[in-house]
Amino acid sequence: MEGLMTIIKEGWRYKGAGNIMWMAHRISGLGIMFFLVLHVFGMSMSFFNPQLHHIMLETYKTPLFAVGELFLAACLVFHAMNGTRIALLELRPQWWLQQKKATQYSLLAAVVIGLPMIVIMAMASISHLVK
Amino acid sequence: MSTQSLGRTVRTVKPIPQARNKFERAMWVFMRYSGLALTFLALSHFGFQHIVIGTHNITTEQTVQMWGESGKSISLNQLAWRTYYMAILGLAMLHGLNGVRQVAWDYIGNNKGLYTLFMGVVAVLSVVVTILGALALIFGATSMK
Repeated sequence: MEGLMTIIKEGWRYKGAGNIMWMAHRISGLGIMFFLVLHVFGMSMSFFNPQLHHIMLETYKTPLFAVGELFLAACLVFHAMNGTRIALLELRPQWWLQQKKATQYSLLAAVVIGLPMIVIMAMASISHLVK
Repeated sequence: MSTQSLGRTVRTVKPIPQARNKFERAMWVFMRYSGLALTFLALSHFGFQHIVIGTHNITTEQTVQMWGESGKSISLNQLAWRTYYMAILGLAMLHGLNGVRQVAWDYIGNNKGLYTLFMGVVAVLSVVVTILGALALIFGATSMK
């Protein structure tokens, strides 16, 4: 735990934006993995126990999960865009000179793709709750 | 790969060191390629279910329609969906499991007992869930009617 605090504090001071992206990549990845296990379990119940499958699908429509859905979208889109940057740059070392630009582009892509998704889903959830 | 000219600077780009640890090297390569594939697979899945269909319109009937009912013959369309989901399931679980392993190693790797216990629980849980998911994709959905 103490090690983790040092990494965050010193990382911010010493390593800059790349370190923040690295940290965010890990956190979003862990979040996605947590939901993935839950989601695959819920979907597998469509064969083993349709009643439980139904309950899980209805749970996703509650306000708590509606908010969680927005976080999931943000994590997924960020992780995908940042991960694409990592994969492309590490597989093409001649692009390393463009690191800074690549970081900015991947963040921009995450916002451009993620924000409309979040707005659409939030509006759908709100209109469903109001009904 | 020898010396490459990069703009003004000239740097030597060394190839990835050859297999001091074959497993870690294979996982490194796998994370990059599976990640690129999942960018399209997972995002298209998420976009289709949450934006095109909408979370509030997803029901058990939709699952049955998409996957086909267990015990009945499946259409080409349903076979395509099942293959698509099987690909996401396998790639995402392996990608995620390796990710958790790397993070766990970084923060609790110095405590071998805790690390082994944590990774054991995570691995068993995700492998069991993956098998359940794969079986459901092989056999199809059960209709509630």
